[in-house]
Amino acid sequence: MSSKKILLAGTVLAMIGLVWLGAVYWMSFFWVSTEVTQGIAQRIMYVHVPAAWTSFLAFGLAALFSAVYLWLRDERLDRAAVSAAEGGMVFATIMLITGPLWGKIAWGTYWTWEPRLTLTLLLWFIFLGYFLVRSSTENPERGKRHAAVVAIIGALDIPFIHLSVIWFRSLHPEPVVIKAEGPTLPGDMLTTLLMSFGAFTVLFLGLFLLRYSFENLRSELDTRSRHASV
Amino acid sequence: MNRNQIFCSLVTGISFLIGTITLSAQEISEFPGAQLATQGLGRPYWHVFIAYAIAIGIVFFWVVSIGRRLSQIEKKIGN
Amino acid sequence: MRNYLKQIGTILWKDLLVEFRTRERLITMGAFVVLVAILFNYATDWVRVSPEDIASGLVWMTIMFAGLLGVGRTFHLEAEDGAFQGILLSPVPKDAIFLAKALANFVFLYIVALLVVAVFMFFFGLEVSRNFGMLAIVIGLGVLAFVALGTLFTAVSTGTRMGDTLLPVLIFPLLAPVVIYGTGATSQFLAGRPLTEAEGSIKMLAAIALMAFFLGSLLFRFVVED
Repeated sequence: MSSKKILLAGTVLAMIGLVWLGAVYWMSFFWVSTEVTQGIAQRIMYVHVPAAWTSFLAFGLAALFSAVYLWLRDERLDRAAVSAAEGGMVFATIMLITGPLWGKIAWGTYWTWEPRLTLTLLLWFIFLGYFLVRSSTENPERGKRHAAVVAIIGALDIPFIHLSVIWFRSLHPEPVVIKAEGPTLPGDMLTTLLMSFGAFTVLFLGLFLLRYSFENLRSELDTRSRHASV
Repeated sequence: MNRNQIFCSLVTGISFLIGTITLSAQEISEFPGAQLATQGLGRPYWHVFIAYAIAIGIVFFWVVSIGRRLSQIEKKIGN
Repeated sequence: MRNYLKQIGTILWKDLLVEFRTRERLITMGAFVVLVAILFNYATDWVRVSPEDIASGLVWMTIMFAGLLGVGRTFHLEAEDGAFQGILLSPVPKDAIFLAKALANFVFLYIVALLVVAVFMFFFGLEVSRNFGMLAIVIGLGVLAFVALGTLFTAVSTGTRMGDTLLPVLIFPLLAPVVIYGTGATSQFLAGRPLTEAEGSIKMLAAIALMAFFLGSLLFRFVVED
């Protein structure tokens, strides 16, 4: 696909995603029925859970692209990896902010060492390291390789982190953990949640493509200026 | 460049629209939400609106930052 | 295979020899450990908490920070006079270099980790004699995982402008499982619980250490190729 097409596709997808997200906002404010035990606070779920899913998708893609980059050494893979990682950071930040806001009402405390929350926080820091390595390595070529190593190890460490934080919690059980989001969601809540999943995913894909075409343009500019200086 | 300006302005418009919905929902929530809110844990539900506003705010921030970077680099490449 | 082991042995022996002649890292880490224990003494209200309750966490945190100090210096000596280029240019496979470097770090850090236990025993009257063998194994496995990740990411952070300051940001999130299982098993030993209770933690620590060494030797070549 040519770079023009990617830019166009990204723009269209991002537009659809934004409008879709607006619809999800409307649905979750005015349309969906209120959950009985948690009241309105439960509505945070419609941004929190899809943001979490999207961040995991994005980090997964970043690690995958990084691994293939180390193997094939195609510059485009590295650009895709950094674009996905940036999206992952954005959505993980949303997840990490909305989660405690919900927890304050449902659990009575902003932070609990809930396994998934802890996992995402650690993941956020792993990918912070990814960007720090990229930006502070003097040789950009080496920075890309090193960042790819960070992403791969980070992704492969996830199962261990996940197991350990669950294990940790089972050692020290929380006194009250209200877990209301069971698998049996009423119809309209499920619809809203699925709509939200769709909106976040499409929005991410669109912005990912835009971010990716930015990286493409930047490297094009780099090669041009290198040619000009030679 | 033209397309990018259109894109940026459209994005800004849509984001403002969503932002307005978010903010106005606080007012509107007087009627559909208020009764339900009082039957809950008796807490104010600012958290929900803050969460929604932060979510859209962060997305908006990312959109604008990508748009700005794209338009800057297109300007450089165009010349 | 024998050749491979010989190469690892040569580099390992070189590192150990340099360290045991200068004793720079061991002295720094050892002094750090003792001083931290002194500070912990004043930072903790020993009337209200007994050493057994919090010692496992303190021991592990001390090992982690001392490890950062020591592992962060892995490539400094060679980087200063460009000797690392020589090692990289030699026909030794990259993963052998990694294994040798990690094992050298393991020797230093394990000595220091045992010193940590001894210091806590001496200063705070920690009772470890009951399960000392198991404790040494658990700490050994944790230190193995630490040095594998630490050596790999030191090679990464040495190449950056930020240097060693970047290292904790890179490895602490990855080491969370090591700390969780390590402190879990250690506190069970210190509480005198039966060994079977800590079996799961020990297996997980072993799996993490194995995985870390495998990934480290697999990915090290991508870090140092230039």
